[in-house]
Amino acid sequence: MRNAAFTSPARARASFSPIALLTGLVATLGVAYVGLIAVVMAYAAVTVQFSQSVRSDEAQVAVLEGQYLSAIAGINSTDYAAAGYAKPIAEVYVPGARATALR
Amino acid sequence: MRAVFRLRVRVVLAVVLAVATLIVGRLYFVQVAQGAEYSRKAEQQFAAAGQSGLFDRGSIYFTTKNGIHVSAATLAAGYLVAINPRLLAAPTAAYDAISAVATTTLSKSAFLTAAANKNLVYVEVAHGLSSAAGQSLAAQNITGVELLPERWRWYPGASLATKTIGVVGYGSGSTLIGQSGLEEEYDSVLERSGGDLLGNFFATLFSGAGSTLVSAQNAREGDVVTTIEPEVETRLMDDVAAMNATHSSHSSGGIIMDPKTGAIIALASYPTYNPNDLTNVNPQLLENPLVSHVYEFGSIMKPITMVSALSAGVISATSTYNDTGCFHVDGSRICNWNYHAYGVIPMKTIIMQSLNVGASWVAEQLGHARMHDYFTKVFGSKTGIDLPNEATALMSNLSKPQQIYYDTASFGEGIAVTPVQMIRAEAAIANGGTLVTPHVVSSIVLQSGQTKELSWPSGPRVFTPQATRETASMMDGLFSQVLYNGKYNIPGIPVAMKTGTAQLPTPTGTYYNNRFFDDEVVFFPSNNPRFVILLYTEDPKNAIYGTDTITPPMIDLIHFLINYYNITPTEAGTTTP
Repeated sequence: MRNAAFTSPARARASFSPIALLTGLVATLGVAYVGLIAVVMAYAAVTVQFSQSVRSDEAQVAVLEGQYLSAIAGINSTDYAAAGYAKPIAEVYVPGARATALR
Repeated sequence: MRAVFRLRVRVVLAVVLAVATLIVGRLYFVQVAQGAEYSRKAEQQFAAAGQSGLFDRGSIYFTTKNGIHVSAATLAAGYLVAINPRLLAAPTAAYDAISAVATTTLSKSAFLTAAANKNLVYVEVAHGLSSAAGQSLAAQNITGVELLPERWRWYPGASLATKTIGVVGYGSGSTLIGQSGLEEEYDSVLERSGGDLLGNFFATLFSGAGSTLVSAQNAREGDVVTTIEPEVETRLMDDVAAMNATHSSHSSGGIIMDPKTGAIIALASYPTYNPNDLTNVNPQLLENPLVSHVYEFGSIMKPITMVSALSAGVISATSTYNDTGCFHVDGSRICNWNYHAYGVIPMKTIIMQSLNVGASWVAEQLGHARMHDYFTKVFGSKTGIDLPNEATALMSNLSKPQQIYYDTASFGEGIAVTPVQMIRAEAAIANGGTLVTPHVVSSIVLQSGQTKELSWPSGPRVFTPQATRETASMMDGLFSQVLYNGKYNIPGIPVAMKTGTAQLPTPTGTYYNNRFFDDEVVFFPSNNPRFVILLYTEDPKNAIYGTDTITPPMIDLIHFLINYYNITPTEAGTTTP
């Protein structure tokens, strides 16, 4: 009778059911899957938000670039005579200094 | 035992009933008590879903002389306005509020008709609201009026280089694609095939993984960087427009190019249009005549004839001939522009005085086969410029046996080429004889952040270096001595020039006596050219010769480029600005 109450190591190992093991594995994978979906969805949302933010910033820069190009056009089309400036009567050309002259 | 079982059944039943009661109660609060609030939240979620489908496309940039990129085509961000007729209580007030801030909207009658249709829940009524205008409208909190984020194609420079930059349109599909210019040529680079990460999670997940591994999309999509300098482009465009207006011309155009690399610094044609407002724009204006139209350029062809004969060795720079002012060939009479007989003169006088008789003499020395060979090398194929719809030259006259066709071709009549082909040919004289590939794009900035430099290989050498130097020297003489008696000569900066005037062809194949095509080409400093400029104006009304119509804007451009790029002269001197 004493021997019947004794649990040998071999019996203890046999109590690890493969079904329980697989169930645990499936549960772990399920949780990991849901977690990954959550992470990817969050990443996607942040990416979209960031992308739109960049585009919005670029659009604001483009507005400034439009002002720059308008300013160039305005300068080019300015009638300096009407603004009171006289056209120079001569333009003097001076030869450029050679690079070696600076040494 | 039975009593225990009965008790357990009753407990379970009570729990089920309690849960059912809770659910019914919750449904009552959701659908009835708080129905309006949840309905509003649902509409907001609809708007949020719309955000992820915003229009996206790469940018096109100008490049300043300092290498700074400035947007030529980009995206603007703002709002579109939509109404929900089921919720819109005061349509007239809503219309007034929207039209007060919107730049485009439905007519009032169309708006009220749409608002009265209670079967509709979403009608777009205005597009392109700025952020400020959108926020102003949103602050009024009008029930049934929704503001949704929107992006659209925008060209900050408006009509600046517009025929080169191009436009986008829907074409035959529902997606905006490039319809002309660089928008069309580089559409596969500018389009954005990725996008809605929230739209289809699994498709996005796996396609995203694929693109991460292969990087095909990242290696293709990007922004386009052009060689066009915005300030030079503005100057050229203004000069071309002013020239066209001064002479009431049918059209005008110009190109500024680096003759050594083929990089186009500016190109403009008039009339033009504003790509930000294509309403009522004639579709023909979308064409770029600088690459798609052919013209008979007249006397700026003479340097090509001269350099061909010098390269072939059939004449030398010191050769002479007897200029009789006019001569007959194949039953036709060819004369100098002033009918003057110059007698025995050297080759340089043909270029400096633009003599048709002299150019014809050179063509006869060259012979049919060699002239056909040289002109085919220069004009017989497309330049390969990175713009769509490049035309091919009309050169069938050089396959005919009659001498008159070679004589007229020698001074630029009877054969027709595009402005881009013409400037490439003149650039070959400037750079020592090599045909470069004209181009307007220098690099692609990929989505990955890397820059892909585009290489534009030079074509074959078609003229000998000595022949090009001698021809350039003749063209120098025209600018420094002949043009208004040397009035515009610039000390220390030699400018090679040739003027041209051609009669316009009639639809029946003859020529008008009183309608002309004027043009000029220059390159400078001619001893080490940095710029080659081609200008033309078609059918000017109050002038005949290119010397009169083209010279003022050409002189302005030469001085502008000298000052803007700090080109230093090799000697001191004074000139008239």
